[in-house]
Amino acid sequence: MDFLFKHKRISGILTILPQKAVKFEDEMANYNFSPAKSMKLKLAMGYNEHRIAAPGQTSYDFCQFGLQYLFDNNLLKPEEIDALLFVSQSPDYFMPPTSNLLHGHFGLRQDCLCMDINQGCAGFELGMIQACLLLDQPAVKKVVLLNADVLSPKVSPRDRNSKPLIGDAAAITVVEQCEAENPIYANIKTDGTGALVLNIPAGGFRLPCSPETAVMEEDAAGNFRSKDNLVMQGDDVFNFVQREVPPMIEHLYEQSGVDRNEVDWYMFHQPNKFMLNKLADKLGVPREKMPANIVENFGNASGVTVPTCISFNLGDQLVNGEMQLCMAGFGVGLTWSSIMMKVGNLNFNKIIEY
Amino acid sequence: MEELLKKLAEILEVDEIDVNKKFTDYEVWDSLCGLSVIAMLDSDYGMAMKNKEILEFASIGDFCKAVIK
Repeated sequence: MDFLFKHKRISGILTILPQKAVKFEDEMANYNFSPAKSMKLKLAMGYNEHRIAAPGQTSYDFCQFGLQYLFDNNLLKPEEIDALLFVSQSPDYFMPPTSNLLHGHFGLRQDCLCMDINQGCAGFELGMIQACLLLDQPAVKKVVLLNADVLSPKVSPRDRNSKPLIGDAAAITVVEQCEAENPIYANIKTDGTGALVLNIPAGGFRLPCSPETAVMEEDAAGNFRSKDNLVMQGDDVFNFVQREVPPMIEHLYEQSGVDRNEVDWYMFHQPNKFMLNKLADKLGVPREKMPANIVENFGNASGVTVPTCISFNLGDQLVNGEMQLCMAGFGVGLTWSSIMMKVGNLNFNKIIEY
Repeated sequence: MEELLKKLAEILEVDEIDVNKKFTDYEVWDSLCGLSVIAMLDSDYGMAMKNKEILEFASIGDFCKAVIK
């Protein structure tokens, strides 16, 4: 499904990372893998260090810290916020929505729409689409998009599929109306038949957590996890990404009329270096135009990776100038989505630690 | 076929592949080798295969026949 939005812009991006960094080598002993094989895995996937939330820290906490930072530094005013979107797979509660909790904490206006959206890897793109849909309304002038996930507590320490790459993080993106036309081209696709390819089996209403769901079991590859843990069919995800993402980007070139040579940066979701390099090759994009350095530095925090990639790799370049960005997210759902837009002259674009 | 066998030999870290063997007969075989095979099939043969499917072949020879056809 294609979208076209006009007179909207991103005016700032703030990424909030946990202070605690964990080295791949320090977790290697947990895996049912020889040290030599683990090092091979590290090299192939680009694992090094990932950021993990402290016990008790939730997605809410990172959002609260980031919003407070923006208010304190006069980069955002609470009374300007017309809508607060919280895109996450790790809410504080099933009820109420986490966006409402943040609304209450900061005493935001009653004339403010709060919405939680359950999405992961494509969470930045889906959040941007929802923000722009809201901004099509004259009453909505400024939307605060929160992408946040603290999923590390759900990943088994003995799962070398997911543990080395998982990261916790949050990002705040301010999206607002603007005078300039600034067209934003977006698209999104869904294949619900693959909905369980990335899954946390227990903990919802279908299968509540119990002593039985906490029992650790070994899979064919020698990974141990319980039904309380996140599980990923790595080969299915790989094949899905290589099959669906290149045609989606080809379509985005057509949809937007933006030539591939006009794209300054490909800011893609960051599953691991291996998959991103394969994608760049398949798309005929120079690897240096598609940074793949988020997993090795911070880990994969699902929907937060695209804003993290922008803050980390472009930083002040987007404060002082403007660039043509091609953004894409793909994964849980299965959902895949991409956006072509100019981003620049931001009020802020940086990383802070909590 | 020869080219495919060369690529498999590289992944399995041997000089020559015995087509009568299964992937799991090679000591080095693990999920990372599986992903390497999947990625090689994708980039060089435009094929998508699951780890489970790769392991279901009675021999590497059968696997190669299915890839080359």
